[in-house]
Amino acid sequence: MAEAIVTLQDVALGYDGIPVLEGLTVDVHAGNFIALLGPNGCGKSTILKGMAGIIQPLHGRIRCVLNGQPVRFGYVPQREAIEMVFPLTVFQVALMGTYGRVGPGRPVTHVEREQVQACLADVGMGDLGRKLFTSLSGGQRQRVLIARALAAGPDLLLLDEPLSGIDLGAAKIIMELITRLHQDRGLTTVMVSHHLKALREREAVREVVWVHEGKLLRGPVATMLAPDMVFRMMDAEIG
Amino acid sequence: MDTLLEILNSHFLLRNALHGGLIIGIVAPLVGIYLLARRMVFLGVALPQISTAGVAAAFVWHTYFHGHQSRDVSDFMLALVGSTILTFAVILGLALLERRGRGLGEGRIGMLYAIAGAVTILLLASDRVTEIGVLGLLKGEIIAIPDIELLILFLGYGAILILLTVFHKELVLVTVDREMAISLGKHVLVWDMLLFGIIGVAISLGVLVVGPLVMFGFLIVPPLIAGRLAIGMRNVSIVAAVVGAGVALAGFAFAYRLDWPTGPTDVALAGVVLALVAVGQAVRALASRIAVQ
Repeated sequence: MAEAIVTLQDVALGYDGIPVLEGLTVDVHAGNFIALLGPNGCGKSTILKGMAGIIQPLHGRIRCVLNGQPVRFGYVPQREAIEMVFPLTVFQVALMGTYGRVGPGRPVTHVEREQVQACLADVGMGDLGRKLFTSLSGGQRQRVLIARALAAGPDLLLLDEPLSGIDLGAAKIIMELITRLHQDRGLTTVMVSHHLKALREREAVREVVWVHEGKLLRGPVATMLAPDMVFRMMDAEIG
Repeated sequence: MDTLLEILNSHFLLRNALHGGLIIGIVAPLVGIYLLARRMVFLGVALPQISTAGVAAAFVWHTYFHGHQSRDVSDFMLALVGSTILTFAVILGLALLERRGRGLGEGRIGMLYAIAGAVTILLLASDRVTEIGVLGLLKGEIIAIPDIELLILFLGYGAILILLTVFHKELVLVTVDREMAISLGKHVLVWDMLLFGIIGVAISLGVLVVGPLVMFGFLIVPPLIAGRLAIGMRNVSIVAAVVGAGVALAGFAFAYRLDWPTGPTDVALAGVVLALVAVGQAVRALASRIAVQ
């Protein structure tokens, strides 16, 4: 089995000192594609933020190491989280991905700019670099945010509900894109989603982790997305 | 045209006031872009008012303990100390409350604005000499700026310009997407403190030269105009600085020619430019719609 690049050991995560989830133990192995599912408000995004170091654990330990080096994250937040007032172009948004490896005060080099352009081309946005980010459709913005995450040169791609709030056609394109990036680049991927149909259609998704009543339930796609399992896991929302 | 040539003459008597206005006109909009981007416009109104309260408090404090006659420091330095201390104390307090998860509440900032305004008036009422000095500040009477004050303004705003340029990408990143900044290993607290420090210095220094109303005007209106005319962060910054400088120059010329107070003339002129740009864009949009039909 490939090396575990993210390990959560008996972790409690929450906000303002109040835990949302406790006793979490889970790991993410290199090359895996995991879908993180669960009802609204169950803590899926909180787990993703814990992995990315955006929130610190209230208890326990989160280890993110690959080949002895800290894991580089490509974090794609929920699209609504970025309500841009800055008049940034598509290229300038994607360029932010490089800011992690370009030190403070250092300009972004020509080589890095070319890499960003390649990332935009990779997600089918290569021709729209000069457009205002806020003038794009939901699906296009999502692709730019994925390009930004790729520009970070990530070991692990963390996607927080990349399919929410966009139409079915755009969701299909985004899902195909994520699948291609995972397969072509061997990119380890953890994705929070509600789109069960889209996940079932993708063979690339290897494992599903349900977040249910504060506990994690993990297994292969066929088992975890079986109708009776889905019904059981989503009962909190349905009931 | 004659007025413009006269004020641009190197021997012009009020050249320091013009240069001071130009420095603020160029740099303040660049700071204001961050206030707009962080949706902290209300803070941009409140901080100059708080800074003015600090100036009034410093003058009254000095009068109370030392009297008017025995002032052993210049008014400018005294005002700078009062303005800086109160501005930074409030910024620090607000930042601490924000970090404790209590948000940068508009109610809290509004309350500070109201209290700062009230305290300023009460302090002025208690000391006639302070009242005269600070009233000039409130009116935005930019007339005489000694060389040393202009130098301090130049150095302070020069440092702000350098910091905004050198750390542009970090400041943009923590402003646009804090979560991504953390995931990339950036110390957001450090960059937040730098940005708030820049805002604090810009306001506490600028208020001493142009007053709270004009300071707020230069922080907010040129970036709003630039946001309508340019795309991309660099272009918007350049246009905002050019608009700020243009308004400062034209405003000074109008005020000199018509014998109006400079500050309010600058702000009114900036408002006229914003209105003209908005109307021009609306007309253009209408014309293109008609052309399509």
